[in-house]
Amino acid sequence: MLKKRGMEIQFNWIFVLVAGAAILLFFTSLVVKQRGVSETSAKATVLKSMEAIIIGTSVSTDTIKTINMPNSNIEIGCNRVSVGGISRQYQNLILFAPGLIKGNKLIAQTLPFNVPYKATNLLFMTNPQVRYIIIGSNDFARDVYGSLPSNLKKEIYLSPPAIKNENNYKIRFIVFDNSVNNIDLKSFPDSDVTALRIIGNKEKGTIEFYQENENRLLSQGQLPYITKSALIGAVYSDTKDLYECSMKNVFSRLRLTTDIYRGRTDKMIEEIGRSEEMRRSNRQAQCNQYSTASRELTKISAASSVFNNENINKISEAAEILINANDDAKKNSCPLIY
Amino acid sequence: MKKSQIQIGETIAVLFVFFILVAVGFIFYAMVIKGNIGSEQDEASQLRAIGIAQRAMFLPELQCSKDVITEETDCIDILKLKTAEVLMKQRQNEIYYYDMFEFSEINITQIYPQITGLDKSQWTIYSRKRQNSPKFITNIPVSLYDSITKTYRFGILSVETFSK
Repeated sequence: MLKKRGMEIQFNWIFVLVAGAAILLFFTSLVVKQRGVSETSAKATVLKSMEAIIIGTSVSTDTIKTINMPNSNIEIGCNRVSVGGISRQYQNLILFAPGLIKGNKLIAQTLPFNVPYKATNLLFMTNPQVRYIIIGSNDFARDVYGSLPSNLKKEIYLSPPAIKNENNYKIRFIVFDNSVNNIDLKSFPDSDVTALRIIGNKEKGTIEFYQENENRLLSQGQLPYITKSALIGAVYSDTKDLYECSMKNVFSRLRLTTDIYRGRTDKMIEEIGRSEEMRRSNRQAQCNQYSTASRELTKISAASSVFNNENINKISEAAEILINANDDAKKNSCPLIY
Repeated sequence: MKKSQIQIGETIAVLFVFFILVAVGFIFYAMVIKGNIGSEQDEASQLRAIGIAQRAMFLPELQCSKDVITEETDCIDILKLKTAEVLMKQRQNEIYYYDMFEFSEINITQIYPQITGLDKSQWTIYSRKRQNSPKFITNIPVSLYDSITKTYRFGILSVETFSK
């Protein structure tokens, strides 16, 4: 009798344990799932904010904004922005930024890409934790230094100095002379160090990308640039691939905008030829810059199909002629080309 | 029936009632979440509509330009508009603009002075509609600049955005 009662009590306890374990398991899985959902939703919010920033800042020219964000690691790839495991893919993203933006603050800057008319806005993004060290003694170096936002961690030196480690997760050297190999990297053992060597002027030139490897800066290759805005883009992009990807997208945009300007110029030729008022005021003869402009715009459109040094030279030459033609149009009170 | 059997029966009944209450709670929670998702989707669609309108408004393909120094806001160049109407619809450019404008239709209409004769008063620069899908309409007043006569007209930039 006692034995049977003992078994009943045991069964009761086993039943309570199983039921309790099932309830606990159920609620634990619920909490774990909810935690995962919250994390994903926080990442999605950051990504959504990034998208809003990309749209909002890229429409306005010459702006600098500091944006507070939840602490996160934003990875920038070619036509891709990722936060955690969530990515947003773009067809043509014009965003110059380091491969990884860490922390809770973003600095966004926009500059127009004018060749010589505005083709698009260039959007730059970085973090106040990234350190930019400019080395150069010419006016161009000072100009580039001045073009970077004041709230950026930036420094300028005439020659490679002995630089103290300030625990920045990324350090970027921008060098305007041949002193890349004289930079002492021993004091930055834990940072991602990259460098950019600039050979050129405000209009165009070549840039060489360097990456640190065993306390030495190794060249990753050269690429061209056109306009100071694109050069600033190279300052922000820490790899050759990221810069090249954005510049290819800039060139696609340039082709479309140029085709619009060419179409507009051809329409101008037609309309000026038809305009009674212009005939009466004898301005048709003065306003003869449009055929030249249309030809040069055709050249720019063709050259913007591929981003390379040769095409940059072609665009630069055509842009010079366009500037003169537009100045002529302005002097003769003719409709402007751009 | 033995006492222990009655006790087990009671425990099962309590558990049953407990799980029913949990299930009711879940159904209520799911309904609240569903409502939130709906309003979040609405908000996202509205934000998307504003983003697309903003992009259209500041498109260098349409914006008035006077040299590089001065750039007029809320102004559309009519000659650019006429070219863009043809160019933006070309097959090779469609994908490029789809990334910018997604499922939407962008129209620019001249309101004043009213057009008479053969001249057009409405230009559709982009159109990719979605059937049976809710849409948001954003209207923005703009100046339309005729660079030949150097005169301004008044128009409306209308962006219809279709929800996903």
